[in-house]
Amino acid sequence: MGGGRAAQDLHLSARSSTEGARVSRLTRLLESEKALAAALLAPGVAILVVFIAYPFVMALWYSLTSIRVGDAGHFVGLDNFAKAVDDTIFQQAFKNTVFYTFWATIFKLSLGMWLALLLNRHFRFKRVVRASMLLPFIIPTVLSAFAWRWMFDPTFSVMNWMLYHGGMITDRLPFLSSGDWAMWCAVLVNTWRGMPFFAITLLAGLQTISPDLHEAAALDGAGAWHRFWHVTWPLLLPVTLVVVVFSVIQTFSDFQLIYVLTGGGPANSTHLIATYAYQIGVASGLLGEGAALSLFMFPVLFAVVWVQLRYLKRMEAA
Amino acid sequence: MAQFKRRDFLKAGIAGILVSRQAPLFAQANTVHIVRWNDFVPAADKVLREVFAPEVQKALGIKLNVETINANDIPARATSAIQSGSGPDIFMLLNNYPHLYASAAVDVGAIADEVAKAQGGIYEASAALNRVGGKWVSIPWSVVPAMIAYRKSWFDEVGAKTFPKTWQEYHAVGKKLKANKHPIGQTLGNTFGDAPTFTYPLLWSYGGQEVAKGKVVLDSKETLDSVRFMVQFWNDAHDEGGLAWDDSNNNRAFLSGDISASLNGASIYVAALNGADKFKTEKGAPLHTDILHAPLPAGPKGAQAYHTAFNHMVMKYSKNAKAAIEFLRWAHKQENYEKWFVVQKGFAVGATRVWEKHAMWKNDPVMLPFRGGAAQQKRLMGFSGQPNQKAAEVWNKFIVTGMYAQACSGKVKPEDAVKWAAGELRKIYT
Amino acid sequence: MLIERKWKKWLYFYLPMAAFIVFTLFPFYWMAVTAFRPDAELYATWRQPNAAPLWTLHPTFEHVIGLMKTTAFPTWMWNTMAIAIVSTAISLVCGMFAGYALARLKFRGSEFLGTAIFITYLVPQTLLFIPLADIVRDLRLGNTPWALMLTYPTFLIPFCTWLLMGYFKTIPKELEECARIDGATRFGAMVRIIFPVAIPGILSAGIFAFTLSWNEFIYALVFMASADTKTVPVGVVSELIRGDIFFWGQLMAGALLGSVPVALVYSFFVEYYVTGLTGSVKG
Repeated sequence: MGGGRAAQDLHLSARSSTEGARVSRLTRLLESEKALAAALLAPGVAILVVFIAYPFVMALWYSLTSIRVGDAGHFVGLDNFAKAVDDTIFQQAFKNTVFYTFWATIFKLSLGMWLALLLNRHFRFKRVVRASMLLPFIIPTVLSAFAWRWMFDPTFSVMNWMLYHGGMITDRLPFLSSGDWAMWCAVLVNTWRGMPFFAITLLAGLQTISPDLHEAAALDGAGAWHRFWHVTWPLLLPVTLVVVVFSVIQTFSDFQLIYVLTGGGPANSTHLIATYAYQIGVASGLLGEGAALSLFMFPVLFAVVWVQLRYLKRMEAA
Repeated sequence: MAQFKRRDFLKAGIAGILVSRQAPLFAQANTVHIVRWNDFVPAADKVLREVFAPEVQKALGIKLNVETINANDIPARATSAIQSGSGPDIFMLLNNYPHLYASAAVDVGAIADEVAKAQGGIYEASAALNRVGGKWVSIPWSVVPAMIAYRKSWFDEVGAKTFPKTWQEYHAVGKKLKANKHPIGQTLGNTFGDAPTFTYPLLWSYGGQEVAKGKVVLDSKETLDSVRFMVQFWNDAHDEGGLAWDDSNNNRAFLSGDISASLNGASIYVAALNGADKFKTEKGAPLHTDILHAPLPAGPKGAQAYHTAFNHMVMKYSKNAKAAIEFLRWAHKQENYEKWFVVQKGFAVGATRVWEKHAMWKNDPVMLPFRGGAAQQKRLMGFSGQPNQKAAEVWNKFIVTGMYAQACSGKVKPEDAVKWAAGELRKIYT
Repeated sequence: MLIERKWKKWLYFYLPMAAFIVFTLFPFYWMAVTAFRPDAELYATWRQPNAAPLWTLHPTFEHVIGLMKTTAFPTWMWNTMAIAIVSTAISLVCGMFAGYALARLKFRGSEFLGTAIFITYLVPQTLLFIPLADIVRDLRLGNTPWALMLTYPTFLIPFCTWLLMGYFKTIPKELEECARIDGATRFGAMVRIIFPVAIPGILSAGIFAFTLSWNEFIYALVFMASADTKTVPVGVVSELIRGDIFFWGQLMAGALLGSVPVALVYSFFVEYYVTGLTGSVKG
């Protein structure tokens, strides 16, 4: 508090003097909104410019050249992008990414909402349960993906064991051996991982809804589902939107989960854009093509974010 | 350099003190940083760290820093090291990766010639993988031959006293084995080792080729025959889970008695040897007493093989290139290399002929088939074209393996799988 | 209050809750069993008669001990912890400053800048890591923890900024104005008045940032070269998988132990986390 007092004194004495003779330049700087804003934003912006903007521009340049590892290549315009569009594996990867993002988000949202509603009540051990629900989100993705891979392993799967002993199957299920099954398994693991984030965030949102609203609706004769749909859901929409957007961004550009779970197989059938771009750019050393592949993610993500920003602006105006 | 550290300190305060434990950057004049894979025979990595390192320090004053990572991660490290112009001095590169990174390599022809002269010549296959444009861009270190490891007792049970010599015979035997709940296990997944070492020789043994006289010829009758055969073979005799396997699944499946045969390096047998108390047959005997090895069977155009090559490349950006070359020269000397070679027990063989005559081969007849493996290899990816960058791209995109995998999954007809693969090849080769 | 009948409670609450708990926590249970299961039992195929994957009668610490002794796991934990703390701190400070500037100060281009910061969140790491390798080398940061401490904020700052911006917007302007009338500078008001009020939001952002940096893989894989500079995810993946052989016991032990620190942090702060999110999502 001592420092504050000193600054205060300085400030008061500065204000009291007629000319700016005693005004500390620093104080004046700190008062100017523009200068202060610049100073506050400087460190963050600096880091982002050096470590994202600049490499991003470099990567953009790579995507327009035939650069490969150790060889700078030459300008090729949009060739890399054309090659990607023509590539059947990339087409599959794009479809997979959309599929994966769509279904995982739907499941995460619905299950997360349900769980949030459940956690919103009061019950014994609530704090422990709530904390432990976050575990899938906390554990590093790479490590939990390994655990799931082991659980789905063709030879040692504990899932197969349980289903077999539960009498539900006679021969094992091809969890990761078939392209279709493997995609659904990936959706499952992603849902398992992301649902807690949805649940906790939606729970936070739920807690801002006054119980009086529910009571009023109940008194009007509304059933539980009706109350949810007409009271809770609309009030949660802003939160939901925000959380969905973040989740879509993460899921669409996901790399680690597929990399560990399937490596893109079997037969390139579970590649996502990120894992395929990595395989082309790094494993084959075709940096230009890899960069071009990665950039395909951008328009989709951009569109998603743009929609959200527009919506939020509309809400703020209202 | 010391200045940098001081700035570091000021910048970070306590966090900096606790965390910046980097070695002073100037003490690296004679350090050689080599990146290799985590050897499937862990004892070999121990030799590198506990025998090679101290000895080369004494002999040449070179400090050897051995880093081992997952083989699948080496391309990522190499690519970023080359792009950023700094990193390890020597990279271990698999197969024909040297062709991909040739422009970042130091010419090691001098060592190669010395070694070839002293050790009876380098295998042609290894040479082709390491030479680009007439220059040695890397030096072959070893070859890991792939053989089929199989359960003798189970093969006896179905009447196969010796290992089948042709694919048709193997198919017939496999059918019986699968009926006995002992299927063959083979990976057709996106994995660097066991998948291409099976699919490429299969293709070749039927007379299929990727490239001939500069044109893509993958979509030929021979290729189609091999794919059709594989689909039948797969359904009748294989563990279908293999579509999702990587290089380790077949090891585990074999060691737990789930499959009767699998194409692999010698690591299954070596693991069974080292874990004689853990891995047993159903009769209670140690598993390794029931394991034998055999090469891949022959198709209409003969028996073919592909063995994984391991090469060392000295990087142009390295400030210790001279020391790195001296280290490699020293390591390839017979008396030194021998220490590494012997501990492998035959899992990896040298890339020169002299090692075929080594006394170690007398120790264990089960390992004998691995001895001639590397010498017999005649063909490489991209056959009958060169094993160059384009062939590497095909290899890395798992196109050939994918062709078989798609057909065996039942989702794609053999003709369409072949057409797809040829189409992908054309995109790469034009 | 709404009165519910017992059976309704069971059907609509207890059963689903139990299902969620099982779904969420089963993998952890299973990881724990695997981590303490002796090697001999690890390789029992699913169809084997005596396979018992859900429990083990001979628990052993050999994997945990092996993990601690034969690998540099403790070093990895230390590295990851240090890197996570420092990058979280950097991102929080930058996020707090930037969030305040964007939420409270009027200046030309504030909207543009806000959007631009947010857009950087969209740039995928798989695209950036090759050019970044160049920059890391130019700044002589290769294989030092600073390579990560400075690159992690690239995906942490946008999120922190956005979260705190939302949070700051909900704090009534009157608080600041009172402080300024009393003679505080803008900066002083920010630090002394606004930040303390926003502690839940700050903690929330901090915890989330901590989790994300603990979780990161690609940059750590590419920038950290030696065994003693690696982080937990990279170390576990690269050293416990020796090609053919996955050391599943140690892998699972590593996975469990690798999540403990973050779980502990969460257990202390989950209340703050929730209230923090509440504040920010309102805005």
